[in-house]
Amino acid sequence: MATPTSEPQDDSSLSQEGCYVALTNSPLTIQSVTDRVRSPQAGAIVIFAGTTRDTFEHKPVAQLSYTAYTPLALQTMLTIATTLHSEHSLHGIAMVHRLGAVPVGEESIVIAVSAAHRQAAWRAGEAALEACKARVEVWKREEFGDGEGVWRANRDGVRGERVG
Amino acid sequence: MTPKPPQGHFNVLYFATAGSYTSKNVEALPAPLPLKKLFSTLEERYEGIRASVLDHSLVTINLTYVDVDDAEEVVIQEGDEVAIIPPVSSG
Repeated sequence: MATPTSEPQDDSSLSQEGCYVALTNSPLTIQSVTDRVRSPQAGAIVIFAGTTRDTFEHKPVAQLSYTAYTPLALQTMLTIATTLHSEHSLHGIAMVHRLGAVPVGEESIVIAVSAAHRQAAWRAGEAALEACKARVEVWKREEFGDGEGVWRANRDGVRGERVG
Repeated sequence: MTPKPPQGHFNVLYFATAGSYTSKNVEALPAPLPLKKLFSTLEERYEGIRASVLDHSLVTINLTYVDVDDAEEVVIQEGDEVAIIPPVSSG
């Protein structure tokens, strides 16, 4: 497998009116994503951190890596963010996904949502994650200790396709 | 980033399972090509890719999704960026 060509050389991001989305090869920091949605008008900030798991169906995962169609993934993330921003009257929404190798136990995605009240923030936070997992053009590859690897697919959630 | 395709060609990007099947991330193919011939063109080059990968994938042209099953009018042009988008797995 050659090196993916569409990974960003540096951080890539898009932002617009209370919405921030980014892809990065660097470790994610929950604090910096949270600070992007902090507001004196917000009574709640809901934060979601997705972390990489060390097993799939009891099979030990040695390494995970993510690749993206960067310009399209950012465009899709921004569409999700702006839609939820208006649907839930959010003050801010920030979504950052990590690319490249992600050591087991570290964050692969961080989403922060701020709103005047907690109910809207909870709902929008969950909706943001589900929409990302269904639509954003990012792919996870899991490599097992025996040298075998699979490209995972969120929509089946059961097994990936073997790639040898 | 992706190199520009040579004159008279378009780029096709292969992500995830598509990249594994072709052992490539990108290649230039001759343009113009009617969209309805894209999958058969790829099948000629990579036998079995249609059933293994393409039938479960979506297609974009210049960052916009297109419907390969309803593609009578659409022609891929020189310089276009086509991408094979297998089922995603972010998060």
